[in-house]
Amino acid sequence: MEFFDRMGRIFSRYSSFFGQGVANTLIIAFFAVLLGTLLGTLLAVLKMGKFKPTRWLASAYIEFIRGTPLMIQLMFIFYGLPMLNITFPEVSFIPNFERFAAGIFAMSLNSGAYVAEIIRSGIQAVDKGQAEAARSLGFKENQALVMVVLPQAIKNILPALGNEFVTVIKESSIVSVIGIADLMYQTNSVISVTFITLESLAVAAILYFIMTFVTSRLIAFAERKMANGTR
Amino acid sequence: MAQDELIVVKDLNKSFGKLHVLKNVSTTIKKGEVVAVIGPSGSGKSTFLRCLNLLEQPTSGHVFFEGVDICDKKTNIDLHRQKIGMVFQQFNLFNNMTVLKNITAAPVKIRKMDPKAAEEKALQLLDRVGLRDKANSYPSQLSGGQKQRVAIVRALAMEPDVMLFDEPTSALDPEMVGEVLNVMKDLAHEGMTMVVVTHEMSFAREVSSRVLFMADGEIREDRPSHEMFEDPRDPRLQDFLSKVLNL
Repeated sequence: MEFFDRMGRIFSRYSSFFGQGVANTLIIAFFAVLLGTLLGTLLAVLKMGKFKPTRWLASAYIEFIRGTPLMIQLMFIFYGLPMLNITFPEVSFIPNFERFAAGIFAMSLNSGAYVAEIIRSGIQAVDKGQAEAARSLGFKENQALVMVVLPQAIKNILPALGNEFVTVIKESSIVSVIGIADLMYQTNSVISVTFITLESLAVAAILYFIMTFVTSRLIAFAERKMANGTR
Repeated sequence: MAQDELIVVKDLNKSFGKLHVLKNVSTTIKKGEVVAVIGPSGSGKSTFLRCLNLLEQPTSGHVFFEGVDICDKKTNIDLHRQKIGMVFQQFNLFNNMTVLKNITAAPVKIRKMDPKAAEEKALQLLDRVGLRDKANSYPSQLSGGQKQRVAIVRALAMEPDVMLFDEPTSALDPEMVGEVLNVMKDLAHEGMTMVVVTHEMSFAREVSSRVLFMADGEIREDRPSHEMFEDPRDPRLQDFLSKVLNL
């Protein structure tokens, strides 16, 4: 098959391009999920909290972010914030830091909204009777949450969080439009040099698939570890 | 307030939105009494029981436990709940803990009991209900009847002054009802104060000392159990008993 031959040749010739792209994609996805999880946890806590204004604010944020395209969010952060004189600093030893920061920031803000819903639904899926039983014994509300509800909620949350990680890896391809040298950007570079389009895209697709597949296997492994014994 | 009055309920009302579930319920539960609460479904039995330890916040009225108004916002309800054991229809054992941990969690974390001593005591209690060998099992590995016996032990481990049972046998397969009722009978004979919402008329008749018959959110009849079953006065009670006893 000529097609696969060309794929192989492109990959071996431009492997450092693709390698750089994979590395940058992983860096962005990793930090986006990490910061997104922190933000998502905070949003989930606010949304389930007793204080109405923050509850409303968290809900509004989640709905708005989930209801608008990531592309637009990214543009607003990369082009819009500097107009308000908010800029990401340049860091001399990390090339392109301000672009990376903007990309990770946008991905995190976006992912946080989805993670918040994952955490909230994971907690609320735990039978109410579990917390009631704890309260009836004299445990305080937060004790019941930490000892009984959260350990069970983690089992609902982890698989969905893994899916979110996989989604972020794929969606991060969008940061190529603001000039971050992620896998998608590097693939486009290869295409513009070689004019071999489909074969280059096929190589990128396979690399994306390897990243997402390995991630989902790792998470499935972690799930099995946690499921040992209980339930 | 008299010495032997453990729980005094005064003009208790509870509404869920427009639904008025409890209407001016008043009663007194004395030390050592075994009170069965019976009545058709939707009559407010469970809501009444859940108001006794404030799992359900009453809309108005008062619940005095050992002389303290637990409906008062200033009362620390967590403190009083330690003295009020509760057993649920759906068992509600902590799924993430072993049987032993289920039982020792509250004594160790709340009472600051020595973990070794708490385990010792938990095993003794498990022995009494014939489940010592299940100490290291998880709830998912137990049958319904076993779960409910563990749930009773979990509540007893806090050495409560009263035990509330919310339809403890309703979610059980018929062949497991007996093992749970036997544990409850033993408790009653040892002098534990109990309030039991139940559909088991034999338990209400033979074990309880008093029966509350509830219908439409009101206590319609409140009498010693032998009297009530022999001579039901309220027409709703007569109708209810004729339905549940002549199966």
